[in-house]
Amino acid sequence: MNALEVRSLTLRFGAVAALSDVSFEVGPAELFAVIGPNGAGKTSLFNLLTRVYEPTAGSVAYFGDDMARWRPHHLAGRGIARTFQNLGLFPYMSVLDNVLVGRGHLMRQGVVRAGLRPPGTRAAEHRHAAAARDALDFVGLSKVAAMPVAVLPYGLRKRVELARALAMEPKLLLLDEPVAGMSRAERSEVVDLITAIRKDREMAIILVEHDMGVVMSLAERVLVLDFGKPIALGTPAVVQRDPQVIAAYLGEVA
Amino acid sequence: MKTRVIVIAVALAVALVLPFLLDAYWLSTFVFVLIAAIGALGLDVLTGRTGQISLGHAFFLGVGAYVGGFIGADHGFTAALWIPAAGIIAGLLGVIVGPTALRLRGLYLAIVTIGLIYIGQHIFVNVTALTGGPGGRAFVDPAFGGFTFTGGLDVAGLSFDRNGLFYYLALLLLVLAMVFVHNLARSSVGRAMTAVRDGELAAAVLGVNVARTKVAAFGISAGLAGVAGALYGSFLTFAVPTDWNLALSIEYVVMIVVGGMATLWGPVLGALFVIGLPALLQQVSGSQPFFGALQPADAAAIVYGVILIVFLLLEPRGVVGLVERVIHLIKRNRQMSLEPSGG
Repeated sequence: MNALEVRSLTLRFGAVAALSDVSFEVGPAELFAVIGPNGAGKTSLFNLLTRVYEPTAGSVAYFGDDMARWRPHHLAGRGIARTFQNLGLFPYMSVLDNVLVGRGHLMRQGVVRAGLRPPGTRAAEHRHAAAARDALDFVGLSKVAAMPVAVLPYGLRKRVELARALAMEPKLLLLDEPVAGMSRAERSEVVDLITAIRKDREMAIILVEHDMGVVMSLAERVLVLDFGKPIALGTPAVVQRDPQVIAAYLGEVA
Repeated sequence: MKTRVIVIAVALAVALVLPFLLDAYWLSTFVFVLIAAIGALGLDVLTGRTGQISLGHAFFLGVGAYVGGFIGADHGFTAALWIPAAGIIAGLLGVIVGPTALRLRGLYLAIVTIGLIYIGQHIFVNVTALTGGPGGRAFVDPAFGGFTFTGGLDVAGLSFDRNGLFYYLALLLLVLAMVFVHNLARSSVGRAMTAVRDGELAAAVLGVNVARTKVAAFGISAGLAGVAGALYGSFLTFAVPTDWNLALSIEYVVMIVVGGMATLWGPVLGALFVIGLPALLQQVSGSQPFFGALQPADAAAIVYGVILIVFLLLEPRGVVGLVERVIHLIKRNRQMSLEPSGG
């Protein structure tokens, strides 16, 4: 069964169509990339998939379930994790606590239990902290676990987000520009990391990215958006040669 | 870790022997400090840790006092019942009021919670059976079974008067409240609160139920206010509905800001400051007004108004932040003096 089936998804803000009639599906272990120039509707698509925006028309099914009635906070429990383009980290919390926020849906404590901290709760905390440390280890950040996120450089913060998304134990991972603003060396490290994640466990990944090199080296299929409209869908090699895609990126009339 | 244990042990030891070193005036002042610290700890859960500004705290203090009066004074039940009941009922009211915070933020939430004060006062004035109406009502001293605080207690050669007993009861409840909040802060609920404060959208996408988290914060905040209010009414022995006013709410906001928001000790230090300063000025001035015309309470209000502004501008993390800076400075100096000189 497909991890995601998107049918005729449309989002309008008044007269402006941020996305029009977008359809695609993502396999349970596929890495699917969405590319397009600035303002093409990539982040709008992510906000629709994570139920931050309500679509004007169309539907999204996650492993066969219609997402129409889900609220954003339901996603984590159902196995969808997301990173943010402009970082969704909490600066005054430690790196470890940031990752642990992503495991909150697995912990389900009430206020009273949290305040009294009986032995069971304490043991659960330790178990989840160990899992969070594993995720930090995986992205190479175990040394900074106790530091507040605010003191970390940008490249490391991006990795904290990645660790947190992994710690959520997702079946579908949405990565919003994971290498934006990074140096060449940092970029190739993140590419290696994503490759390692895919080798390590089975999950569907949707990658929104500007960096064509990263997309072409990682993605199995690519969707190209331009002004909210899908203009091409296929393997990287095919999409790269598509005249409409070249035109959209170079700004020429096809 | 080790230094923290020492700090806690010293603070607890000082708190335990303090009543023996104080005269009646300062003992009663410290009882007010401990009671206020419980209420401030509650407000900090809501405002400091969850980021929801409330100026309605005085309403929940009032509710706690009247619940205590109703169960303790009117029906003669033990304090072991009316103190927790005050917390639970005020907390439930907080949970009912909390959803207003779901659509409002920042200044708008502050204004709506001011509304709570006026609605509360209107209710307090009119429900005379519970509150005594505009003329106010009396409360009773805590009693456990046949034993009441009124006559004091002699035990093991030590003698405690009413205020001394109040002091230890408030201290016990404060310590319990601090342990509760400390546990909460390092639980998934506490992390969810901080996440809601620092980024609602990201928190929601990460699986945090934002609405539930805010309502829970309101409940805890109101619950601790209820306990503080019940003790406050009982210690004052008498209150009128207009006591639970905006100025009282603002005092609590000043406590958490000056003490240091989202810290365990901030609300305690803030309460010490906000309650202790007017008491100190009162004592220093005797009955003489400052500069010929300024009453001690007004002088204190001006001083802590100025200090509030200074803290907001220069050290938003309050006294706790200031102490951390000093410790950091000492550590750095020590490190520097350990490093080899010259080179």
